[in-house]
Amino acid sequence: MNADERGSMNHLSSETFKENARAALADVHLRGALKNATTLFGERRKEAAASLPNWEDLRSQARAIKDEALLHLDRYLEEFVRNAESRGALVHWARDGAEANTIICTLAKDRGARTVVKSKSMTTEETHLNDALEAAGMQVVETDLGEYIIQLAEETPSHIIAPAIHKTRGQIAELFTAELGMPPTDDVAQLTSTARATLRDRFAAADVGISGVNFGIAESGTIVIVENEGNIRLTTSLPRMHIAVMGIEKVVPSFADLDVFLKLLPRSGTGQRLTTYQSFITGTKRRATDEGPDELHIVLLDNGRSRMLAHPVTRQSLACIRCGACLNACPVYQQIGGHAYGSVYPGPIGAVITPQLMGIEKTAQLPYASSLCGACREVCPVKIDIPRLLLHLRGEITAQRKGNTAERLAFKLWARVMMSKSLYKMSAVVGRLLQHVVPISRAWTSGRDLRPIESRSFHDRWKTLG
Amino acid sequence: MNNAAREAILSSIRFNLARSVPDEENPVDLENPVILSKTTSPIQHFRDNVESVNGHCIITTDITDVLSQIITNLRAQRIAISDSPEVERLLQATDLEIEELGIAPDTHDIFRFDVGISTAQAAIAETGTLILDSAHERHRLVSLVPPVHIAIIDASRIVETLSEALTLLRKDKEISPAVTFITGPSRTADIELTLAIGVHGPQELYVIIDGSS
Repeated sequence: MNADERGSMNHLSSETFKENARAALADVHLRGALKNATTLFGERRKEAAASLPNWEDLRSQARAIKDEALLHLDRYLEEFVRNAESRGALVHWARDGAEANTIICTLAKDRGARTVVKSKSMTTEETHLNDALEAAGMQVVETDLGEYIIQLAEETPSHIIAPAIHKTRGQIAELFTAELGMPPTDDVAQLTSTARATLRDRFAAADVGISGVNFGIAESGTIVIVENEGNIRLTTSLPRMHIAVMGIEKVVPSFADLDVFLKLLPRSGTGQRLTTYQSFITGTKRRATDEGPDELHIVLLDNGRSRMLAHPVTRQSLACIRCGACLNACPVYQQIGGHAYGSVYPGPIGAVITPQLMGIEKTAQLPYASSLCGACREVCPVKIDIPRLLLHLRGEITAQRKGNTAERLAFKLWARVMMSKSLYKMSAVVGRLLQHVVPISRAWTSGRDLRPIESRSFHDRWKTLG
Repeated sequence: MNNAAREAILSSIRFNLARSVPDEENPVDLENPVILSKTTSPIQHFRDNVESVNGHCIITTDITDVLSQIITNLRAQRIAISDSPEVERLLQATDLEIEELGIAPDTHDIFRFDVGISTAQAAIAETGTLILDSAHERHRLVSLVPPVHIAIIDASRIVETLSEALTLLRKDKEISPAVTFITGPSRTADIELTLAIGVHGPQELYVIIDGSS
């Protein structure tokens, strides 16, 4: 199957968000899984945050560090690159996803690689790296358990930190039985050990390991990657070549900054004090006889990120540390899950990042996938004002006339009515009379409830109350 | 490397930053000191926290004896150790009959061992975390691939906070190529959020604290 076929089979499009959402709402099983996941993650996050006396201070501090790094991103990136290269890493710059994929495929092909193991990386999901590697003739194996499951199922991640959250153990068992020849079982320990055994063979055979990066430390050129399973450690320790793919916004100034981020990230993501493993990788091994890969390549990806620096509102998006807390907190995500967004990054952060990365042409529905309730802003460990970003993007969409024409006209008319006391009064009277006779635009009410207009206005009641 | 891409990205960053203004609604505020929690005994605190993430932790003055007991109970036949002379010395001091002993086995050999043994260069009490440093010891595979990892650490090397540990790491001007933080055995909850221990890394983690000094 080629990349295009796979794309058309499995990737929903952001352009059909409303239809995707409607289908998701009808999926009883999906909604049950989402409720369990988002409730559990939400409760754990809350407990973990409450276990620290200075959670709010940490959030402010994290945001301040990110702002400092972003406002001087050129300087910190150059410092990071200088330090990483002085310790043996090779850094590559990629303007977009295609350029990143070409760099990675060329590196792997030049070394005669046949098998590539990957640890979880949203950035490589963004560039669709797996399709590119497969097109270049390589076998690509996702090694994070959740990613492995969805790779076998030929699906895409539905949650930033729990990619296979939409699948039941029964479905996973069926998949393992069909694909791996496992005897039928729905015991989670059994499923996990089957995956472990299968993937160990792939690790042993792998020529190249590809990982993402959580933090790049400017002052030392260190990349930091966090995980629970150990597959990142295997990916970055066993093969001869390690390629780390890093968005340019991942750089932080100093080692000391990690104190803040390593407290916030696991607590916000899974409610853990610390995830099981943190790998701090600084350049390559010093002696040929040491452990670890012979080569370390770091691919720095822009892909629209530098553009987001231009405006203080959009710049905030680059502070995101990909914890997934806003997904769990969002009443929209809780109901429809990740696939409906039709984008690599789902949920509130996806609704603001995707239009900025991909352009608003095909993603104009996403900034409207929110009631602006602000739950995402409350839980964000780096205090990204997502509702403000959503409004900003809605403004851009309207300004570029990409929104719904009828809706825009209706609001223009409504604005006129609101400006005039007499017109407003009249509209209330007319509305009250006609609301049960003339259906209000179905485009508006098909996805929303509209409360009937009260029989008496507040203004009228005030007179009698007073 | 691709200089055109490098220059294009850096100039795009500079161009876009130059267009932008500071965010009035989110002023930068760096004055937020992290409050450090201090407990009386980092050793006990460390042990409690290792156990809270499904690890085993033993404080002892006789490491050889504890090591011997653990390996006997596990019925381990093939033991991989790091290249730390201390681990080798301790293992030799036991009277265990070991079928196969591998010293820092490489990528091709590591998969057949039952147990991996290393030391740890530091530990964090508040999280129950071991810190292993590649400059001191070849730890990457022995602490990861075998189904059981046994780590030996001197009690004096346990610090209370993450912040202290990061400061220690940075104190050496030259940071090692690979520093690994380990908090409990490998885990996942990727299937229906059900916790499974030992997915890619060890299923069991034993920490032996040398309390003799």
